Amino acid sequence: MSFITPKTDWRDSIDRRLTRTQEFIDDTDPAALAVVAVAMGSLLAAFVGFLLASPWTAVPLGAFLVATGYGWVRHQALVARAVTFAMTTVTLVTLGLIVVFIFAESIPAFQYESARVFGVSVPGLGMFAQARWDAVSDPVRYSLLPMIHGTVMVTAIATLVAAPLGVSAALFIAEIAPPRVRELVKPGIEVLAGIPSIVYGFIGFTVINPWAGGAFALNGGSTYLFVGIVVGLMALPTVVSVAEDALTSVPDVMKDGSLALGATDWQSMTAITLPAAFSGVSAAVLLGVGRAIGETMAATVMLAGVPRISEPLINVFYGYETLTSLIARGYGSANGVHESALFAAGVVLFVTVLCLSLASQYIEARMRRRLGGAE
Amino acid sequence: MSGNSGRQAGAVSRRKYLLSSAAIGAAGLAGCSGNSGSDGGDGSDGSDGGDGSDGGDGGDSSNTIESESSAPATVTAEGSSTVYPISNKGSSYWNSNSPASDGEYWGSNSEGSVAGWDQIETDQNIADYFASLYGFEATGERSNPPFATRVALSHSGTGCEAVRDGLVDIGNSSGPITAELDISESQRDENYVDHVVGRDGQPVFVSQEIYDAGVDQLTGEQIRGIYQGDIANWSDVGGPDREIYVVGRAEGSGTDTSFRLNMLGDADAPMDVDTRLGQNQQVQQVLQDNDNAIGYMALAFAGSGIQAVAIDFEGTVYRPDADAENTIFDSEYPLNRDLHMYTRIDEETPDGTDMREAAFLNMFLTEFGQKTFVEDVNYITLPTSDIEAERAKLPDQA
Repeated sequence: MSFITPKTDWRDSIDRRLTRTQEFIDDTDPAALAVVAVAMGSLLAAFVGFLLASPWTAVPLGAFLVATGYGWVRHQALVARAVTFAMTTVTLVTLGLIVVFIFAESIPAFQYESARVFGVSVPGLGMFAQARWDAVSDPVRYSLLPMIHGTVMVTAIATLVAAPLGVSAALFIAEIAPPRVRELVKPGIEVLAGIPSIVYGFIGFTVINPWAGGAFALNGGSTYLFVGIVVGLMALPTVVSVAEDALTSVPDVMKDGSLALGATDWQSMTAITLPAAFSGVSAAVLLGVGRAIGETMAATVMLAGVPRISEPLINVFYGYETLTSLIARGYGSANGVHESALFAAGVVLFVTVLCLSLASQYIEARMRRRLGGAE
Repeated sequence: MSGNSGRQAGAVSRRKYLLSSAAIGAAGLAGCSGNSGSDGGDGSDGSDGGDGSDGGDGGDSSNTIESESSAPATVTAEGSSTVYPISNKGSSYWNSNSPASDGEYWGSNSEGSVAGWDQIETDQNIADYFASLYGFEATGERSNPPFATRVALSHSGTGCEAVRDGLVDIGNSSGPITAELDISESQRDENYVDHVVGRDGQPVFVSQEIYDAGVDQLTGEQIRGIYQGDIANWSDVGGPDREIYVVGRAEGSGTDTSFRLNMLGDADAPMDVDTRLGQNQQVQQVLQDNDNAIGYMALAFAGSGIQAVAIDFEGTVYRPDADAENTIFDSEYPLNRDLHMYTRIDEETPDGTDMREAAFLNMFLTEFGQKTFVEDVNYITLPTSDIEAERAKLPDQA
């Protein structure tokens, strides 16, 4: 393998693929092939029609449905292969279109906020190099720093709430609780996950904010502290469920070995179960963090809605704005560059969540290498 | 900017397409946007495509079973949540087509008569009466008006876009269409007829504690100082030694813009507020919850725990009291704004207002309509001279 030059390798693989395709076509019923070709072709045509906003999109879509329906009856195996492949593609294409759309929509804001560094104009630098957001009065500036600061504050506090509570609850449910308690607590936590976020926000707005304003002698009751706590509670069920799954999936033989050597239950938990499930538990925490970053409703309702950075930076007793609440508050009345700046906030959120997801993949892969003993 | 407007035009055609091909989804969306319909002045970007769904089927009637196939099309309206109470109440009354013997909603009986009845005095049902003024045939049946009316709730900007695109007959807006659609005044006069049906006051409210402590009047200068960050303590305006919690409205919304324009002197005047809230209800709640807050919102949301203050504009004191010499209900009060219902001028209706629209709009321009649909939902009625001017914009009665 390593002696073959890349070029021939590449050509070989094309050749092999072509041969395989040829064999596949030869082996398959031509009628089935025709049906699949019609179905996929009309799906593609429907997609093109959708992109062009053509009123005729329904026609190829209907053709796709009819061809698939017919094929499903006559050549189920092949059609099922094609349809599952097409559905996967649709998911990816949807993701791709959303990404392209939010990036394209945010371009005017990035251009507006260009700043010169050493004579080179860098688009979007003004969003991160100064801290003024004012969409109406002069000078109109669209800095995202106050909102990034708000998102970081809320997420940090939420993680401080959700991670220890969530992991210890998961440990209790998975390792300590008697079966009857577990059967009661686990569905309870899942019900908690089902409460809509606006309910948390509404309680925060009508109960916590007025109370906080009085209790801490604040001017108004919006605080990152309590938004963070509320969002942390909202992320809690995610953390508990995923961490609990990870802890339960540690094989009993590992724990039994530890117990057989004379370790106590607690020693086995800290020395064996938790480290073995570390990748799953950290994935749980990262999922919770992702939930906290993306939380919109509770933050929008409870925060003040004025893009400002608190002083000092770690002052949690004032709550101004997060990236998500900025979009939620502004979408109805924004237009032009203002609207585009909201999309830019969406881009920042997207990139952040993407990095988070990559980080969790990386941690998982590293843990698997370590525990799997590959190195 | 030109590239941007091109993009928006593209978005419009996409929206039309979506409307025609996904009526069910659009109906669902319309429900959502109804819930999220925030404060009236919002100049919306019109992103919620579902809003137009009510206009999309203008030919259909809400009571199809009863109406005959030759019946005139339903009058559809949509837009600002500020105008919505007026428009919707009018529509409900219209669709009920109550008989003149009802006494509560229309006409008169031994228990009482509706406001302004002495100028009407008819035997006909409510919608029959107003429709027959413009040549429509009366049905004489309760709940079966000569043609139905329907009002959808969204934002001012969305309403203006819907009437521009022909999705609805009437676009409700709390801001002028020139600002909502970014068009010139001559473009407005060429394409739209502006029917003003009432006025919205934007009184300034303070928390009850502040009012009780003696702040029952502020000067325009003081309010400007408070909203621009120059005055930060109530003791500077004759109140207790307490910080001021300044409540503003969603950045760039119609309410925000009109406050900047009317109170601060310029549509993009700088502001320094402690919080910005999207909806009247939220402002009301925050003013009640805090003992040091000041805010402005639609008059209709006055309630317990908050108090409107009198405002001294250059020597004239406007009081929140209908019997005072100058009141916040006066059209001279600088924070008042007109509530518009726009109709579109096209080939079929060169006057801009067809007979159906005129019959419906005319109902609001009577003493009965002003009292029932404007004053009773806490908006400000038009003075007689303005009513005359508005009526002159409608086609001649049959």
